[in-house]
Amino acid sequence: MIATWYAIVSLMLIIYIALDGRNFGAGMVHGFVARTPEERRQVIAAIGPLWSWHEVWLVGFGGTLFAVFPRLLASAFAGYYLALFLILWCLILRGVSIEVGDHINDRLWQGLWDFVFAFSSFLLTILFGAAAGNVARGVPLDSQGNFSMPFFTDFGVHRNVGLLDWYTLSVALFALVLLAAHGATYLVLKTEGPVHDRSVTYAKYFWMAAIPLFLVISVESWVVRPDVPIHAIHNPFCWLGLFVILVSMGTLISGLSARRESRAFLGSNFLILGLLLTGGAAIFPVMLYSTLGPENSLTAYSAASDHTSLLLAAVWWPIGFVLTMTYFMFVSRRYAAKVSLKRDTQNLY
Amino acid sequence: MNATISDPAFWSRLQFGFTIIYHYLFPQLTMGLAWFLVYWKWRALKTGDEKYNKAVRFWAKIFGLNFAIGVVTGIPMEFQFGTNWAGFSRYAGGVIGQTLGMEGMFAFFLESAFIGALIWGEKRLGPRYHFLATVAVAMGSWSSGFFILVTNAFMQHPTGYRIEPNGLLGIASLSAYLFNPWAFVEFSHNQMAALVTGSFVIAAVGALYTLRGMHPIQARLYLRAGTIVALFSSVLVAVPTGDQQAKMVGKHQPITLAAMEGKFAGSSMAGVALIGQPNVAARRLDNPIEVPGALSFLAYGTFQSYVHGLDEYPSSAWPDNIELLYYSFHLMITLGTIFIFLMAFANFQSWRGQLESCTWLLWILMLAFPFPYIANTLGWMTAELGRQPWLVYGLFHTNEGYSKVVSNGDTIFTLIGFIGLYFVLGLLFLYLTGRELGRGPDEEAAPSHEPRHLEAVAGVREERLV
Repeated sequence: MIATWYAIVSLMLIIYIALDGRNFGAGMVHGFVARTPEERRQVIAAIGPLWSWHEVWLVGFGGTLFAVFPRLLASAFAGYYLALFLILWCLILRGVSIEVGDHINDRLWQGLWDFVFAFSSFLLTILFGAAAGNVARGVPLDSQGNFSMPFFTDFGVHRNVGLLDWYTLSVALFALVLLAAHGATYLVLKTEGPVHDRSVTYAKYFWMAAIPLFLVISVESWVVRPDVPIHAIHNPFCWLGLFVILVSMGTLISGLSARRESRAFLGSNFLILGLLLTGGAAIFPVMLYSTLGPENSLTAYSAASDHTSLLLAAVWWPIGFVLTMTYFMFVSRRYAAKVSLKRDTQNLY
Repeated sequence: MNATISDPAFWSRLQFGFTIIYHYLFPQLTMGLAWFLVYWKWRALKTGDEKYNKAVRFWAKIFGLNFAIGVVTGIPMEFQFGTNWAGFSRYAGGVIGQTLGMEGMFAFFLESAFIGALIWGEKRLGPRYHFLATVAVAMGSWSSGFFILVTNAFMQHPTGYRIEPNGLLGIASLSAYLFNPWAFVEFSHNQMAALVTGSFVIAAVGALYTLRGMHPIQARLYLRAGTIVALFSSVLVAVPTGDQQAKMVGKHQPITLAAMEGKFAGSSMAGVALIGQPNVAARRLDNPIEVPGALSFLAYGTFQSYVHGLDEYPSSAWPDNIELLYYSFHLMITLGTIFIFLMAFANFQSWRGQLESCTWLLWILMLAFPFPYIANTLGWMTAELGRQPWLVYGLFHTNEGYSKVVSNGDTIFTLIGFIGLYFVLGLLFLYLTGRELGRGPDEEAAPSHEPRHLEAVAGVREERLV
């Protein structure tokens, strides 16, 4: 039961990263791939009317985490205090920049919101990347299950760690390149014209940069947490994750080179899924590893709600999931086509 | 007992209070507007009258701006349960996590999936599906309200829980938790109050255009719909929902009722103070003008009923800001009463066919729209200040609930950040809303002088039609 819930909340987070990751990526690269104000509007339009639905996966993840792992939520949210508020503020700025940029046709106005959009997407990716690095590296949890972490200490990865150190920063850098590549691949699928052509080029650059970085952080992760791989080889889901990574890389590469754009984007999504699946399976059942002593670590078993709560959530969660996927199918089918720069329409409706 | 300025709980409360009050300015309007949009969309489907579609298009823009700010300011609320109230999350997460999870899965997904389609998708979806999208957003926003009010009702009057061997709360009965009688009353009261806000705003815009002599057909529609709904919702928010809410407080939180009324000595034939200032140190209400017996009657049904006074309880059990609680409650009641009289008169004029020509009344209607926001805020302050010193009434104290690991320095830093960011958001919102109001409902979007980039955006949205 608890392992299933671990899988479900992980899945929700993965869906969030894959969905909103493309918006972060598009936000980061739109400074390169879109050179005129019109092209920038095209990128924003490509993100489409469902961006708030994407963002709600984070809220859904938070809510589900609250229902099934309340002690994790309590420890982690209080411990990551400052980082979480930076994430919140960036999410506010990102959402506002998408919504209000269209309202006024003025270069200054739109230039401002384009910048806010790019900057908040950039910072969000770094913060989420560093957060992922923190989950892998561990946090200074005490025996009460509490921790409080400054932004940085000595940039080392043991004992009294900070949010940022050489390891979490390199994970953040990998996240930047990965999501930039993901976003560019999405724009390849969703746009036409010059934005499309530039996105093709940038997607290739970013994916090429992602491969060596991935190897680097794999080695780094081994150094930081040598216990994890030993433990992980016995977990079939890790092997499944690795398999997904390999297959999706093949799909992505063949999609990009054969100009099969939806295949490439599918590969990109599954690559993110594979990476996070491998990571999530490798650390299971530990949800928050303690750098002060492994015995302080918070596991899925120690963080879970009581059995009744888990059972009740197992009733409503699948219903909510099926419903939301239905809405998604309904709406996204109507916005499936490419976004073009010129269209001879008279009004917004 | 009083929270002092060096107390971490004080800063976490202040931050939560500030961010929730600010946040709730937006959802109360979207919840109030949602059913207007549904109604007009339905009328448009039935009659084919273009004026209803025009109204929906115009209000959907206002709705969209409110919705966007509501979403981005709402996410910090959910996060703050963990960041600032970790003790509470750990203690009650097994129970309240259920509704917070459901809110995400059932309400937020529903409204966020269809909000884009509501605002931009009229042609792409076609009239029927566009109507359904409007219904979906309305249902999403109201169900979100329901889940969050169930959560709040649990904090006011816990039901359906059990205490686990480890001392934390677990859920014993989901139906007892979801169908908490307090939640039913609180939800009805709150949703009626949201309708008051929505209808006052619509009436105010109608009055604005009438006074300026603009958009006559639309203005008439807004004035009519706004004043009728405003009258019904203003009455319903008082009776039966507000009345039932007060009885609920009298039954389950007698100390709170005494504090709301500034009542120190218990008595039968207890009065309602029309005017008076609570003097907590001297334990009396200064300069009182009271309606004798009214409180006994309203709270317990007869004039002879005994109403408890604060003196009967140790001061450690009192809400920690009796003065603010008293004023919040009294001002809310005063405003609510004024709303009923104002809207009764407006409907009378409307029935005589003289609303549009009654300039002074139009001025009042135009300027009245901020007051429902104030009344809603005061109502929530009454509920939340009245719950003190408990976080979960009778089970868990507020000063046990905050995050022990978060320093005052951290909380003050983020509070300052929110104040700055929300100030900018507020300016932005007022500016853009003012702009939409200035353009008005008759301005078709993107006429020939409209920028090319908007056409690019429109192109996306039009794609499917071509």
